[in-house]
Amino acid sequence: MPPRGARSQRRGERILVPVLLLSFLSLTRAVCAQTRQLELGLEGFGYESQTSVLNRENVLGLDDHPGLGRLALGWRETHGGFRAVFRGYVERTWGTEQDETRWVVRQGYAQYWWGEGVGLRVGKQRVAWGSGLAWNPTNRLEPPKNALNTALEQEGALAARLDWAPRPWASLIVVGATTDAAPRDLPVAASADTRRTAALRARFLVKDTDVAFVASGGRNQRTLFGLDLGRDVRGALAVHAEAGLYRGSEILPPRDDTWFLRVVAGALKTRGDDAFALEYFYNGEGYSDAGVAAWLSGLDRAWGAATNPALPPAQQQQALGVYAAGAAIPYAWGLGLRRHYLHASWTRGGATSVWTGALRAVVGLSDGGCALTPGIGYAPRGNLTFNLDAVFLLGPATSEYRLSPVRGALQARVKLLF
Amino acid sequence: MPRAASRLRRSALVAFALVAPASGRAAEPDAATILRRADRAVLGESAAYTLRMTVLRPNKPERIVEMKGWKKGEDQGLVRYTAPAKERGTAYLRSGENTWLFLPSAEKVVRVGAKQNFGGGDFSNADIFRLSLIKDYDPTLAGQETVEGQDCYRLELKARDRQVAYDRVVYWVRRDGTFYPVRADYYTLSGKNLKSLLVSQPKPLGGRTRPTLMTMESRVDEGAHTRLEFLTIQDDPRLDERLFSPGALERGE
Repeated sequence: MPPRGARSQRRGERILVPVLLLSFLSLTRAVCAQTRQLELGLEGFGYESQTSVLNRENVLGLDDHPGLGRLALGWRETHGGFRAVFRGYVERTWGTEQDETRWVVRQGYAQYWWGEGVGLRVGKQRVAWGSGLAWNPTNRLEPPKNALNTALEQEGALAARLDWAPRPWASLIVVGATTDAAPRDLPVAASADTRRTAALRARFLVKDTDVAFVASGGRNQRTLFGLDLGRDVRGALAVHAEAGLYRGSEILPPRDDTWFLRVVAGALKTRGDDAFALEYFYNGEGYSDAGVAAWLSGLDRAWGAATNPALPPAQQQQALGVYAAGAAIPYAWGLGLRRHYLHASWTRGGATSVWTGALRAVVGLSDGGCALTPGIGYAPRGNLTFNLDAVFLLGPATSEYRLSPVRGALQARVKLLF
Repeated sequence: MPRAASRLRRSALVAFALVAPASGRAAEPDAATILRRADRAVLGESAAYTLRMTVLRPNKPERIVEMKGWKKGEDQGLVRYTAPAKERGTAYLRSGENTWLFLPSAEKVVRVGAKQNFGGGDFSNADIFRLSLIKDYDPTLAGQETVEGQDCYRLELKARDRQVAYDRVVYWVRRDGTFYPVRADYYTLSGKNLKSLLVSQPKPLGGRTRPTLMTMESRVDEGAHTRLEFLTIQDDPRLDERLFSPGALERGE
């Protein structure tokens, strides 16, 4: 049975889809759209599973090669200041404990702008704020990025967003959002409580520097204050820094009275068709070596109790729940399990390239683990793209990425646009 | 009669003496005036336009990107890709010394440097958005030459500071009163010729005749060049300054 939060989310989506379809039909009949784009996509993700500390005796019930296939649909329509967007997919999973077919709305929203000053967007949407490339510590409204491939398309949150731009150098965004979604691209499911968040972001351009202040909080949500900075250096390099300060931890165990800081600082350089990015992430609430040891021994204890035939079945089940919650920590809401990370990426290709290439690496400086994601793209026509990414999880056996029940992955995507 | 003729000659000489310096100034405007007039030869103070960019590389098929753009003053510009479909929605914004890129796939606004290249072609962001040179360069009139079959002023442009994309530009502007730019050679601080711009195909567009084709040739990658062709131009539309802000980038088309 899905958790309560998931039920309310799906109820919201059930309402959202007919509303969007109705608006689409009425739009196509009533007005001649200024621009319209349709998108058809196929996605196939294949994984290699393993038993690990997070998947003792294959408790997750994974085949050797679990995976998922998706048929994706996108629609975007604009008319004057009005814009409507739908992005979603039907998915079939295989090789997991509970293979299922389901549909997911990634985004579905309607937006209207009154001139250049005021805009309103309602529906499931990406918020995508923050200057950070791989991590955004000031954005706690959306489901987290896929830890194994941060370049995959993210799912949005059900939200109402108001933009107000009184001056070219100043703007204010107010958002009310709710979501319970976790990364969906993995064969392991991580459930999360429904988070309801109110957030405010004030952005200014001061002496050629982007400055943004963020405040957010709500139910099942830590109160957060954020600062986001960006500028370019001599026109050749763009640098950024994004920081979030909040009270109480997001990663278990709850540390309600402690203030934590997360900071991302990085740079982006492009040269010809090449783009290079480097980013450091400090995760203040991340586990130290002692914290990891405590977490792993907690998993050991829970697993021991769950498999102890001397205990009553109810107690075993409860222990199994504790184990599952602990094992899902790296994939749930946190941005990373440890304290220090480095993200480096190189991408090649632009609007006019047939072939594109990418190499991304997230290195856990605290434990030496590495998620390496090389990828290629091929666009034989202007409306057809093929993408293939591979994910390699490297490093010491006790590192965060090597503990994963997933050993590696191949992720293929085809997109056709009309 | 001879006295009358002599008086007439004197009057003509005086009149010539009075007029000659003035007409001499009109015939040979100073470097700043030439540059200012050349800056306005293609686009007005503010403009809305559509463009086709063609990137040509040796032994590779040509790649075409279409876009629409808006310009206000000398340092505010916004360009949105309209084709090909896979790039639709990608947008560049320039405001002052700042450049941002909107990536529709990530729904994210990313800051990029002004010197960085634009859309995989040979133009830099600064070339696209800083169609006016008068703000960034100190011009000197360095003579007259025939370039691309046109009688031209030769201007030497020196960058006012290191932030500017090129340290030195040699710029040729037509002397026939149109002040159409003809060619520009761009140099680095070390004196290396990075690329050359050819401005051609004057024709009526948006209510007046103007050059409509800009071709940037790389001097580093032999045979590589990029063509920018104006398809439509509307001079001096009413543009809200807030159109040139990162928030407007996020909002999409």
